[in-house]
Amino acid sequence: MTLKKPSPPHRRIRAVKIPPGGYPALPRKVALQLLEAVQDPEVIATAARAIADKAEEMRGAVLRHVESLEQAARAADQTRIFEQAHEIRGLAGNAGLIATGRIANNLCKYLDALGQAGRQPDQELVALHLEAIGRAAHAEDEATRLGDAVANELAHLVDKKLAEINDSARRA
Amino acid sequence: MSGATFDHLKALIVEDNVHMRTLLKSLLTALGLKHAYEASNGADAFLIMRDKSPDLILTDLSMKPVDGIAFTREVRLAHDSPNPYVPIIMITGHTERHKVEAARDAGVTEFLAKPITAQGLFLRIGEIVERPRAFVRCDGYFGPDRRRRKDENFTGPWRRHDDFGVEMR
Repeated sequence: MTLKKPSPPHRRIRAVKIPPGGYPALPRKVALQLLEAVQDPEVIATAARAIADKAEEMRGAVLRHVESLEQAARAADQTRIFEQAHEIRGLAGNAGLIATGRIANNLCKYLDALGQAGRQPDQELVALHLEAIGRAAHAEDEATRLGDAVANELAHLVDKKLAEINDSARRA
Repeated sequence: MSGATFDHLKALIVEDNVHMRTLLKSLLTALGLKHAYEASNGADAFLIMRDKSPDLILTDLSMKPVDGIAFTREVRLAHDSPNPYVPIIMITGHTERHKVEAARDAGVTEFLAKPITAQGLFLRIGEIVERPRAFVRCDGYFGPDRRRRKDENFTGPWRRHDDFGVEMR
């Protein structure tokens, strides 16, 4: 027998824990069947094929969002730029556009951090991302070393900018 | 192959992007689910939730007019929620820490980052089935236990009944 935790004299319990079994859940038989299904290699392979079958459709969707992103950039609409970049980062991976997704994610990360800090983004850095997203999404084979290199360079630039923001926030 | 079909198991997919919604539905179909309802935002989803009482929810985070965080909170806390304990998997492209923390604090059960993979989704469904989480009710929160790992160095705050007392070994 061991003491689990010290009990402070002034303790005030405010949380109640409801263990599994103490609330409604799937019937045991169904739960076991479901567990078997999610671990079945054939089921996983069928589902993976379903994802692969949708890649072309996803690519079309990404390209439409790239157009909207470019329109948002022309209108200097920061909210829409973030929204469209966010859509692109969500879809690009399932379209096989890995570098496009990474670059869009960099841009989102940057715009989100700036928004949190109440700062305006560096328009040159945003423009670099927009151009890179457009080029990568339209490339025949974007999963090249070049696409990765661009994504890495932009990620480095974003990290540098965010570090500057953090530094100035710490100093303020 | 398990070959199981789940005639009575109901899932709800909440996602504003139709391509992503279709993709998720095809994964659930591959798994053998017969009933996967769809909604494009949190407001519509809660109406379906009340009507169908799904056994599993897959939700996106960013949606209008009601996002995945507000929807999750509604499922967990609303007096007319048909099942506040339903497992909710949040599937999101958001990697920003504050967004993920907000979703966790709304009562999300599991996270899945986009891009979606069959293994990623099935792993989380398996986790929900095999290792269901305890639920915690406290001031300002009701949902799955957010202390996922047992941290031997945890120094508080101690707020739970089982944080104290004597443990038999």
